[in-house]
Amino acid sequence: MAKLIGNAPNQVPTNADLGSMAFEDRTNYITKNNPVHQPFRNLIINGDMSINQRNATINNGTNTNTYAVDRFHMFGAVANKMSGQQSTTAPTYFKNSFLTTSLASTTTSAGDAYGVRHIIEGSNIVNLSWGSASAKTVTLSFWVRSSITGTYALALFNKDAPNRSYVETYTINSADTFEYKTITIEGDTAGTWLTTNGQGIQVWWDLGSGSNFNTTAGSWGGGLDVRTSGSSNWIGTSGATFYITGVQLEAGTSASDFEFLPRDVNLNRCHRYCYVPSNEGTSGDGYVFAWGYANTSSQGVYFMPLPTLMRSQPTLVLKNTSNALEQGYHNATVTQHNTNVVTRSGTVSSDKNLVLLVGGASFSGGQGVHLRFKSQSTDETSFVVDAEL
Amino acid sequence: MDLDNAITIEYSYIDNKKSSIRVIFEDRTIDIPLNEANTDYQAIQEWIADGGVVIDNPPM
Repeated sequence: MAKLIGNAPNQVPTNADLGSMAFEDRTNYITKNNPVHQPFRNLIINGDMSINQRNATINNGTNTNTYAVDRFHMFGAVANKMSGQQSTTAPTYFKNSFLTTSLASTTTSAGDAYGVRHIIEGSNIVNLSWGSASAKTVTLSFWVRSSITGTYALALFNKDAPNRSYVETYTINSADTFEYKTITIEGDTAGTWLTTNGQGIQVWWDLGSGSNFNTTAGSWGGGLDVRTSGSSNWIGTSGATFYITGVQLEAGTSASDFEFLPRDVNLNRCHRYCYVPSNEGTSGDGYVFAWGYANTSSQGVYFMPLPTLMRSQPTLVLKNTSNALEQGYHNATVTQHNTNVVTRSGTVSSDKNLVLLVGGASFSGGQGVHLRFKSQSTDETSFVVDAEL
Repeated sequence: MDLDNAITIEYSYIDNKKSSIRVIFEDRTIDIPLNEANTDYQAIQEWIADGGVVIDNPPM
């Protein structure tokens, strides 16, 4: 029998040695020209809805992106018409979904928009080359479930220059049952598609927007359109539910299996857009998340590292909750905490760290200080660092 | 960000330099960096273009 391992670098088996193994069909193998299973092929972040830093059920605001799970949000023209939350109702192989519930029988005006959206950062769509003759086709796949059957619309569009949109429809055949959908969309050879840290592609699942957003499905067009005239008016039914998970948008003409990422990788990707410091205190103490020094007798300067490079300088959100945070100070023999409500006097942020100026305590200049949640039970979403698109 | 429901919208200063825009709502306070890539800052700019005015009280 021929030896498959030679004695020198230039000794390799010949086709005669390999026999029928020599020309094996590689159709289903990963090769240079068949990168179907290329890692990080999914342009959607947190498509399995497993990361939920904000950790609450929340109602939509007025024409505002309202986040429940990370990277996915509701958008509604009138506040309190929908609620959003992470759900544990999910199809096989998934643990979570994003659940939206209609809170009223809403009558939609022509210019009102209602839907669920994911915005992809422009720097993550460079390889699609949209807006050029080389634009790549993409395929969107997802699991969806609703209490209301019928024809639904979804759309891909750009935002910073809302001059291009593509609407397609899909059908939910059975009520309260997860169904898998795939939709292939030719790349847009026109329009302006940002490849910066701004908004690239917006993916929109329509839930009953007004007639101003109607168009014909199946082709690219100008303007901001997200639905067809015959697609579902889900928002008009109080109590209606809409679940979505396993969302994947990838280059190519067919959908590959959903790309599950390790939790740490998924969380880190979400941190680029939102960071909620965990309140992991013990024995009743809140968790310390920033450190610094007292620059006056009544003000501390705190430095807070961010877990990853954020998309832009972030917005700092602090709930107006009594005693959410407190300051501690140190000298040679003692650590004490100021239990007053802290008063921020200013912030300076970069995409890597925050500098917080906080008043309300009584220090000696130069003392070491720290900032922490008031107690172990303090809602950690009292403090949110936000660089969403 | 629903600026129509804001109680106060004003510039914050550190060392006599504008550092951020502070927006106070009933349930939360947010500090927005003066950075055009920040979408909250973009929303503020649109609000200003529509006639909104950010309170500016520089420190003495």
